[in-house]
Amino acid sequence: MKLELGYINIHDIQFSNESKIENGVLYVDKAAVEALVLEDEHIKTVEVDIARPGESVRITPVKDVIEPRVKVSGGGGMFPGVISKVDTVGSGRTHVLKGSAVVTTGKIVGFQEGIIDMTGVGAQYTPFSKTVNLVVNCDPVDGIAPHEHEHAVRMVGLKVAVYLGELARNLTPDEIKTYETCSIKEGFEKYPGLPRVAYVQMLQSQGLLHDTYVYGVDAKKIIPTLISPTETMDGAILSGNCVSACDKNPTYNHLNNPVVEDLFAQHGKTLNFVGMIITNENVYLADKERSSNWTAQLCEYLSLDGAIVSQEGFGNPDTDLIMNCKKIEAKGIHTVIITDEYAGRDGSSQSLADADPAADAVVTGGNANELITLPKLDKVIGSLLPIDKIAGGFDKNMLEDGSIMVELQAITGATSELGCNCLSAR
Amino acid sequence: MKIQIITNNPLVAQKLSEEYPVHYEPRSYREVLVAVRDLIHQGYQLYSHPLSGSVKPNETPYKSVFLSQKPGKLDLDAVRIIENSIITCDKFAVKFPDPPPDMDRDFQLLDLTLLQGALSQITT
Repeated sequence: MKLELGYINIHDIQFSNESKIENGVLYVDKAAVEALVLEDEHIKTVEVDIARPGESVRITPVKDVIEPRVKVSGGGGMFPGVISKVDTVGSGRTHVLKGSAVVTTGKIVGFQEGIIDMTGVGAQYTPFSKTVNLVVNCDPVDGIAPHEHEHAVRMVGLKVAVYLGELARNLTPDEIKTYETCSIKEGFEKYPGLPRVAYVQMLQSQGLLHDTYVYGVDAKKIIPTLISPTETMDGAILSGNCVSACDKNPTYNHLNNPVVEDLFAQHGKTLNFVGMIITNENVYLADKERSSNWTAQLCEYLSLDGAIVSQEGFGNPDTDLIMNCKKIEAKGIHTVIITDEYAGRDGSSQSLADADPAADAVVTGGNANELITLPKLDKVIGSLLPIDKIAGGFDKNMLEDGSIMVELQAITGATSELGCNCLSAR
Repeated sequence: MKIQIITNNPLVAQKLSEEYPVHYEPRSYREVLVAVRDLIHQGYQLYSHPLSGSVKPNETPYKSVFLSQKPGKLDLDAVRIIENSIITCDKFAVKFPDPPPDMDRDFQLLDLTLLQGALSQITT
């Protein structure tokens, strides 16, 4: 499979009476976006706003972040099985509004989390302080159940992203990046001396408000399977997860997975990027056994020398992570896991809720319990009301001067287990 | 497969008691885990992960776990999982000793639906 990503660099978003892209500025017809959102019978009111890097703006509670893209050629359309027909994606040309994002916000459950600060200390911890964001803040109709509300806001975010992406269909990209996978046979023939490495991505699939969708299928219901990494760049995997802000993978991260990016960069040089396996993180222990057995078996079937396993979330998924690691290692395949830590505020507690000697190569996204103080900002998009209720917030955490103390877990993307974050030990 | 549910969530007791044996007691999150640990020590099989949900232990007051109805052979993997779960729980301070009613309702609902999701996966 060969996919070209054509980057249309966006450095600003402005409201206008016509939606278009000119000279790197994304002009948005606010009324058209609002009308699009209000097509959903579950949405009562909507506010559309812009948050730019460096502005004194806090967005909270954040649900999802989506990068606007459009499928220009090749099969299918963006977000197959959800927005577009369920055709196979991942080949041809896709245009990307690079530098911009759609952010959805709105209180779905009382303790929902997710803070994006566009300036100050908090901005240093989230990658989405560096994108210029169109923020869609929705209120649902009365009496809606949380899962219906989540579904409505999920669809709103995707629809707005697709609407904006469509503006780039006929533009000439500023930059084109090409990603090409080869078949198993081609890989053996072309790179006989290079280690064969695959990427195992664990998808959050615990249930209500903790879901991920693959071609529209709830990942809870999948068995581990192979997917082309280029398919993920066209939205084959998307987030239905609106809790666990620091280490959930917003849809943006699935589209821009750094593990995939780096493996492609090394493909044919230091390793042979054989492919990608997706698996889930179910609550039922028999599912964990089944999925980790199957994942390890697929790794063996692909004759791998190495596997990189990334996690999503914390706690229950730590058990899936360790099961995957143990079982893949037991096949004689070197395994690296990517996780984050809940090591207490001083960092001295046990980091994961599970462990095994086979997990001897670990990359961490950081300690989600680390405490930081966010300054008062001039403008809040969404609502500050849940700020003491979100995971990582706590009772009376708003100080007299308007600043807020939170653990890193409250900040969207702060300890991303895909490496989509800003923390480093370097 | 015959199961029993250990819970401190009144909504679970209300919704699932007709279908399953539900052992409901109004106690802390940690106390639920300890009760589950004691059953595992007696040979009951653990079927759902005790740390289900990304809302952290003690941030939500509610926890529901399901196990076998009858004891069998001691499962050392389950012992490891429950012990690590209790260690993890102790890392988080009780956040909302008295959550406001709307939030309390959401916590109960989330715990119930995660449990129902896991129950729906039972194939034997």
